[in-house]
Amino acid sequence: MRQWKTLFKNEMVGHFRDRKWIWVPLVLILIAVMDPVMNYYLPQILDKVGGLPEGAVFQMPEFTGIDAIQMSISQLSSLGVLIIALISMGTIAGERKSGIAELILVKPVAYPAYILSKWAALLVLIIASYVLAMLFAWYYIGILYDTIPIGDFLVMTALYGLWLTLVLTVSIFYNTIFKSSGLVAFSTIATIILISVGSSLFGEKLSYSPSNISNHSFEFLHTGEISSSLIGSAVTTVIACLILLLLSIYIFRTKEHAG
Amino acid sequence: MNLLSATSLKKTYKDYTAVRGVDFSLTSGKCIALIGPNGAGKTTILRILAGLLKPTEGKIRFSGQPANADLRKFIGYLPQYPVFPSWMTAKEFLIFSGELAYLSKKEAEERAEKLVEEVGIKDAWNKPIGGYSGGMKQRLGIAQAIIHSPKLLLLDEPVSSLDPIGRREVLTLLEKLKEEMTILFSTHILNDAEEVCDDLLLLHKGEIIEAGSILELRKKYQTSVIELEFQDNPEQYLEKLRALPSGTSSYLDRNTIKIPAADISKVRYEVLKAATEENWPLVEFHLNRASLEEMFMKAVKK
Repeated sequence: MRQWKTLFKNEMVGHFRDRKWIWVPLVLILIAVMDPVMNYYLPQILDKVGGLPEGAVFQMPEFTGIDAIQMSISQLSSLGVLIIALISMGTIAGERKSGIAELILVKPVAYPAYILSKWAALLVLIIASYVLAMLFAWYYIGILYDTIPIGDFLVMTALYGLWLTLVLTVSIFYNTIFKSSGLVAFSTIATIILISVGSSLFGEKLSYSPSNISNHSFEFLHTGEISSSLIGSAVTTVIACLILLLLSIYIFRTKEHAG
Repeated sequence: MNLLSATSLKKTYKDYTAVRGVDFSLTSGKCIALIGPNGAGKTTILRILAGLLKPTEGKIRFSGQPANADLRKFIGYLPQYPVFPSWMTAKEFLIFSGELAYLSKKEAEERAEKLVEEVGIKDAWNKPIGGYSGGMKQRLGIAQAIIHSPKLLLLDEPVSSLDPIGRREVLTLLEKLKEEMTILFSTHILNDAEEVCDDLLLLHKGEIIEAGSILELRKKYQTSVIELEFQDNPEQYLEKLRALPSGTSSYLDRNTIKIPAADISKVRYEVLKAATEENWPLVEFHLNRASLEEMFMKAVKK
């Protein structure tokens, strides 16, 4: 545990000096806020860039606050996932490739402590930035559309946070397999796309799929009731994370750490 | 007393064998040099001992430990090209390394402060490692390897990349460290080994071809060489020397004729006799004891 703390603290300081604690929150805020704000100002924007041709009839749809938060989440699901893959792709793979890992792992470091410290430090960074981004989105949506009850909103934020945790955990998993950061990022994104596409193709059968968390939590925002599917997909996500972490540790143990 | 012994240690990769079943033991308190040309398997052996690579076959037994135990807490290791997190300062990295090796924060701080002075990077220890020169990184590498006072210090080519001054300083440092721990270091520069080490392990193509103390090995391979230089073309004298009973294996090395001699006094007598009788224009008559290098070449050819 003491080793884990040492490693974790070191990771946090590293992310901080890397300015990750500045740009990751900023980028996620931008991603979460962009679509709701753009949609609200769309008529003005269209007007400014020359307007519609004479006679064209353009009916702007009426968005609710929940529609707006769906826009934020859909952006986070694509661009947000990309950002997570980017900041985590080299966390272990890069250290192994450069040789830094050689110096660290030759000390009597427990492998679980090494992997879990990497995972936890990125998790704290990602979740803190994501929650901040969601609060910004909630604030703007409240001003521009209608206010979503903060309690429901936080429950939804927490649940979708599980999905982002899974994205990070998948990346950590590939980090223990590959030495090339690019390959890690590619595999992570490919896996996430596969899960998402699979779940939307077989939506009925895969109701408990982790990627359905967002759909189920929108339903929750509409109805105010936590459905069994929502609980189901949340539990699947947590279990998937645990299994991936155990597998990562197991794989890392069997790897050679030099050359 | 043996600190560590390895039996039939083997490391194979898909298409080649880096280490072909070697046996050796390291005596406690000695400085041992692992000598061999590039590609002999030096780095592989050090990495196996450091726990970074898993041997394909074989056993490693550390005194007081079960076979193939995790030895990392007894071992300090410096890779050939150490890479540090460039955003950290030397101080931070040393304390971090110390804490990973179960020192308390306070112990790690004290030890770090002492070591930066010892290795001579005190002036820069609060600066990011990213700006360090190669020599400074090498010194920091040694400091991080001994932060937890290991019993066995493994160094992979610790001086090969240093300038003459840095090399001298590191060798002096090793001389001092010898009193506190057993040192195994690899090198292809035989002079360095000769200077600080007691024992040698000669490695060639993944096999240990010779092991023992420097004195023993020197005695074993002792054949001296007589070197002759002439004012004019030496080739004509080569023929004459080869005609002598003890000079048959004479050969020409650039402008010097070399005569390997098992019995020096006999060769000296014959050569000098011929030289005086025929009035050879000798410039130099030099008796050269076998260097470690020649010893190594001989062992390789065996």
